[in-house]
Amino acid sequence: MLNQSAIENILTAALSTGGDFAEIFAEDKHVTAIDMIGGRIERANAGHDFGVGVRIFDGTNSVYAYTNNATPENLIELAKTAAISISGVPKDLGISLVKEDAKSLHKIKVYPADALKSDKVALLKRGYEAAKNYDDVISQVTGYYLDTDQKILIANSEGLLKEDRRIRTRCAISAVASLNGEMQTGSANTGAHKGFELYNEHDMADYGKEAARIAKTMIHAEHCPSGQMPVIIDNGFGGVIFHEACGHGLEATSVSKGTSVYTGKMGETIASSLVTAIDDGTALNQWGSATVDDEGTPTQKNVLIENGVLKSYLVDKLGGRRMEMEANGCSRRQSYKYEPTSRMSNTYIAAGKSRPEDIIAATENGLYAKSMGGGSVNPATGDFNFAVQEGYLIKNGKIDKAVRGATLIGTGLDVLKKIDMVGNNLKMGQGMCGSISGSIPANVGQPMVRVSSLTVGGRKGGE
Amino acid sequence: MKLNLWKEKIFSLGTQTGFSDMELYWQSGRSFEAMVFEGDITKYSVSDEEGLAFRGIYNGKMGYAYTEVLDEDAVIRLISDAKSNAEIIETVEEVFIYGGDNPPTELKLYNPELQKIENQEKLDFLLEVERIANSIDDRVFKVAYNLYGDSSDVVAIANSKGLSLEEKRNSAFAYVSVVVRDGDEQKSGAKFLYGNDFSKFDPRIVASEAVEEALSQLGATSMQSGQYEVVLRNKEAANLLQVFSSNFSAENVQKNLSKLKGLLGEKVASNLITIVDDPHLESGLVSRGFDGEGVSTMRNAVVDKGMLKTYLYNLKTAHVDGVPSTGNGTKASFKSSVGISPSNFYISPGVDSRERLIENIQNGVFITGLQGLHSGANAISGEFSLQANGFRIENGKITTPVSQITIAGNYFEMLEDISGVGSDLEFSLPSGSSAFGAPSLKVNSIMVSGE
Repeated sequence: MLNQSAIENILTAALSTGGDFAEIFAEDKHVTAIDMIGGRIERANAGHDFGVGVRIFDGTNSVYAYTNNATPENLIELAKTAAISISGVPKDLGISLVKEDAKSLHKIKVYPADALKSDKVALLKRGYEAAKNYDDVISQVTGYYLDTDQKILIANSEGLLKEDRRIRTRCAISAVASLNGEMQTGSANTGAHKGFELYNEHDMADYGKEAARIAKTMIHAEHCPSGQMPVIIDNGFGGVIFHEACGHGLEATSVSKGTSVYTGKMGETIASSLVTAIDDGTALNQWGSATVDDEGTPTQKNVLIENGVLKSYLVDKLGGRRMEMEANGCSRRQSYKYEPTSRMSNTYIAAGKSRPEDIIAATENGLYAKSMGGGSVNPATGDFNFAVQEGYLIKNGKIDKAVRGATLIGTGLDVLKKIDMVGNNLKMGQGMCGSISGSIPANVGQPMVRVSSLTVGGRKGGE
Repeated sequence: MKLNLWKEKIFSLGTQTGFSDMELYWQSGRSFEAMVFEGDITKYSVSDEEGLAFRGIYNGKMGYAYTEVLDEDAVIRLISDAKSNAEIIETVEEVFIYGGDNPPTELKLYNPELQKIENQEKLDFLLEVERIANSIDDRVFKVAYNLYGDSSDVVAIANSKGLSLEEKRNSAFAYVSVVVRDGDEQKSGAKFLYGNDFSKFDPRIVASEAVEEALSQLGATSMQSGQYEVVLRNKEAANLLQVFSSNFSAENVQKNLSKLKGLLGEKVASNLITIVDDPHLESGLVSRGFDGEGVSTMRNAVVDKGMLKTYLYNLKTAHVDGVPSTGNGTKASFKSSVGISPSNFYISPGVDSRERLIENIQNGVFITGLQGLHSGANAISGEFSLQANGFRIENGKITTPVSQITIAGNYFEMLEDISGVGSDLEFSLPSGSSAFGAPSLKVNSIMVSGE
């Protein structure tokens, strides 16, 4: 994308006012997006994103500039514009780039550009047919298909020069069930750091059926009762509880500022001893994986919590400067328009020993959250919330009737300690995670987990 | 990028390829953003960017493509991508490239004074916000986010039907979030400012309101579950309106994805509720003279005293219903396909002060925070179940802070259950091409879950 001598000139210009570290991030990305409503393709878009960002550090101060006018002359101008805000004496850092071929960990079989558009359309149709034909109560089905082919180049004044290519695809089906003037929804999706071969392994008809099954279940469901109760959260996207309740609070973004409730707790027991939690950017072809992060550091498997003890934070270069810690391969960004920062990739609670059926049988009364919606957290207070997409009451150790509109709230530190059973059925789910460096693909995961007591919000009120 | 230079080239290749009507949408902008933390400039970001989108009608179907690179190869790719995208479209509705029947209202969206503010002055503003916030109270622990940003943009549309429009705008925002600590307890509070007049950005206001918000929540406890009378503070009422605004889109109505289908002319809310879409609102956060299809925008009362008057239309959905477009065919950015979204969309303010809304409530809740709106509220079902915080209302007065509760209900049932509308209209930060506003609302009964 840029030749070596141009890069060296840009980095030199960036350091001309005394900065002690400079970095270039160039991105060239092709995007395909297709929307389906009611079995018909409604919209199709294709795009070419291209731009370059230049970042300069001066101690723990950071300057960032980006443009999509990527001629070497303009980029030198851009670097100088950014450097204006630093006033110091240039340090003779002697930039000599060593190009390293970051061999991709994640093998791609069918690049999106090589797959026919009609085959992409067929995925949505297949999902539609399965959802529509699931039950008469299904009144509408929508879906989208997305693929991205992102090539990046990262170079910095420490001599790093790396390129990487990330291929991702995702397909989702949503169903609406209507009955007596009410509407309820269900949705299911899959995604991976893979090419079109993903759909040889995943049949979109299964996702269509699943979306329809959830919508149908919810249209017949009662309002959820509220109050404190044991909550069993099933595997897969249920891992969003850890992502929100704890994961964000372990990012250097808030830890380095001392605003996270987890600041200063390294080595302390912060969770039940049944909890081991991992963020693994190296997991082969997973939705949140990459070979190197967006600062060029190889991704890592970081054990965040081991048997309840806090072992690691997620640290990017700038956060690392504040915290006096090494960056550990988790710095990410939506695009060249964002400065990278510490983010999660594929984050999950490791499998435990309990069988799912035993966890349910051991729970006299409570809520079973079979599939989760999303959630959010305030890292300063640790207060989290998340929505249950498909919930059931548990009565006398058995799954009872379906309930809609359940919201789980609590604080991270409290919920981690109250996890009292961990299942053996680890599974991942795909989501988009939004934070200050934009919206990025992230896996969440867990086995079935029981929390001994959580506040459940619902419209039915106390029972 | 010189739009006219490329227009001929692109349209000529488009015509050869078989497109009947074509349109270019060009966006160019510069922005500045800075963040200060404990006296350090932790973010200082400048940008200069532009992008071009093409859309065109090929065999009666609309194909889209965009690019951030503009060279000969990009032109070829734009046309071939747009063609292959048009080829897979299966909708039967007629699509249009607009010829421009009446010219758009010229709005003052650009303030040249804003571009003259030196970056140092903006940094000084941030340093001052931090200094003031820290000096207000000993319990202020950190000024966690202290951000300023401004941008100026030009949007231009040119099409093969001879339409040629351009609009220039600029805006600035400041956002601060503070964390206060008392013993082991931490609370946060935030405040934002938005506009294109930097002289109105008062660091004292931002700092003190954020600190006050955080301090007021210290000592918050949960409360007993039950049905309560609730006053929703203006910003929270605006956030809820945002989630459910998609129901007003004619596209969602026509595709059976809206609760408001079949209700035109019917009562859908309390007669205290009037909802307006006003793209010409002075100091409006997303005011615009024309929409993403080049159609002139106009003010519309969507709900008038509880009665549903119109949906929001673009050209395609308006044709289906046999009505004119309401000028709501929008693109969130040049990259997006044309969809439907409101502009400055708000519940009209009433006459009651906040005190007046509260004074007759014996045992209720004043909600000042709602979280998880992207997941705990479902636009299609109308249902919400959301983490909330605020204050108890006892004997007509605001008393102690409340947190760790949820409120649950159905938005459209709630709109019918409004018994008071405040005079304190406020907008939340814009999202895409829309901004949402509301005054504080008094609701007769909402299920609150806590202990």
